[in-house]
Amino acid sequence: MRRGQLTTWARAGGAALCSWTLAVPALAAGGGKGASKLVNVADTRQLEPGLSRWMAGVYNESYWLFGLLVVAVMVGMGVVLGMATDKAVSMLGINLGKISHHE
Amino acid sequence: MELFEIYLPVAGIHFNVLVLLLIGFTVGVCGGFFGIGGAWIVTPALNIFGFPMPYAIGTDLAHIGGKSIVSTIRHGKFGNVDVRLGVAMILGTTIGMELGANLVIKLEQMGLAESLIRKLYIVFLGLIGSYVLYDYVSHTRRQRRVQAGIEVAPTGETVAQKLQRIKIPPMIHFRASGITCSLWLPVLVGLSTGLVAAVLGVGGGFIRMPALIYLIGCPTAVAVGTDLFEVMITGAYGAFTYGVKGRVELIAAMWMLFAAAVGAQLGTVAIKYVRGYSIRLLFAITIFVACSSVILKQLELQLASAVTILVAGIGISLVIIAWLVKGVVDERAGRLPANHG
Repeated sequence: MRRGQLTTWARAGGAALCSWTLAVPALAAGGGKGASKLVNVADTRQLEPGLSRWMAGVYNESYWLFGLLVVAVMVGMGVVLGMATDKAVSMLGINLGKISHHE
Repeated sequence: MELFEIYLPVAGIHFNVLVLLLIGFTVGVCGGFFGIGGAWIVTPALNIFGFPMPYAIGTDLAHIGGKSIVSTIRHGKFGNVDVRLGVAMILGTTIGMELGANLVIKLEQMGLAESLIRKLYIVFLGLIGSYVLYDYVSHTRRQRRVQAGIEVAPTGETVAQKLQRIKIPPMIHFRASGITCSLWLPVLVGLSTGLVAAVLGVGGGFIRMPALIYLIGCPTAVAVGTDLFEVMITGAYGAFTYGVKGRVELIAAMWMLFAAAVGAQLGTVAIKYVRGYSIRLLFAITIFVACSSVILKQLELQLASAVTILVAGIGISLVIIAWLVKGVVDERAGRLPANHG
């Protein structure tokens, strides 16, 4: 009797779980608007091994790591390009000392 | 043109590198010259060429951080960055942006956010543009009268001078700007501009740059340089937050940054050959362009709005480069004193 009760509860639980699993996507899809992607994944299949693929790999691995990578790349490139373009402009012979302000 | 197509794995689209370079260069020139981030050009431009909106915003913010470093380095060497003032303002800006973000959430809950913010944006930009233009016109008229030998009535105290007279400790001297005022003035100006920027959903350059001139009393070039210093920090923060949300297309940001670095350098150097009031005039025109694009958006003419912005951005960059070339030619011919600013 007790064993029978357990089996009934297990069946009911299993049925509820299955219904929930099946119902959630159906509810999400039936909400009117199209369901948006919950997790974004960079598609690396079209990429050759190299920088792009590596960055896409970091993106797929961890958004936190990717956030840090974005800041590091942008700051690093900003500093290097800033100094390089500064040098290039000074080679044009323009006087790049401090300017006095005239309104 | 397929030769220049690249695959962007995060946004999942193919994109033309030349378009990225063009957008980057345009925003670089404008940003270096006006001291603004340039989100008003980049976001709609990327979007009309196929970038999904969240990626357009994130990618834009990422490259703005890098581009502003390039401009800030050059402005710093020109003596146009008031670091003390920038730091004082950042404090207020951060608090203001947080308050503004909460206000937007409240407005959203009341179902007012979208339409109200857009209307506020139009009114606000219209007012700022009109005031800057009015200031330019009255200054030019005055100059002409002085040159013609006609007596002109002395101008009254400016708003900035009145605000500087409020002596609430601690009083601080901002050397690059050449002003002394209460520390609370830049903090409060930062707070109010940050609040308005967050409510309107803009980076803040459009509001902060004129606020630095008219409320704090900075010379125009210092206002541009100091604003870029702030944009650099807020841009880096924005890059990080959008990065951890997975909404930055890093490869696109890198391509844009290459061109933006060149543009930013040219835009910044152009400041040297243009008088403060000419910067203000072009800034007012730029504000009106941004304002009209929002009006077009309000009329649900999305494509027309984005095209207006992109074409105007390219046009304004060309004007700045023309001023730069003229300045360099005049300087070489000895028609300009070195570093006249």
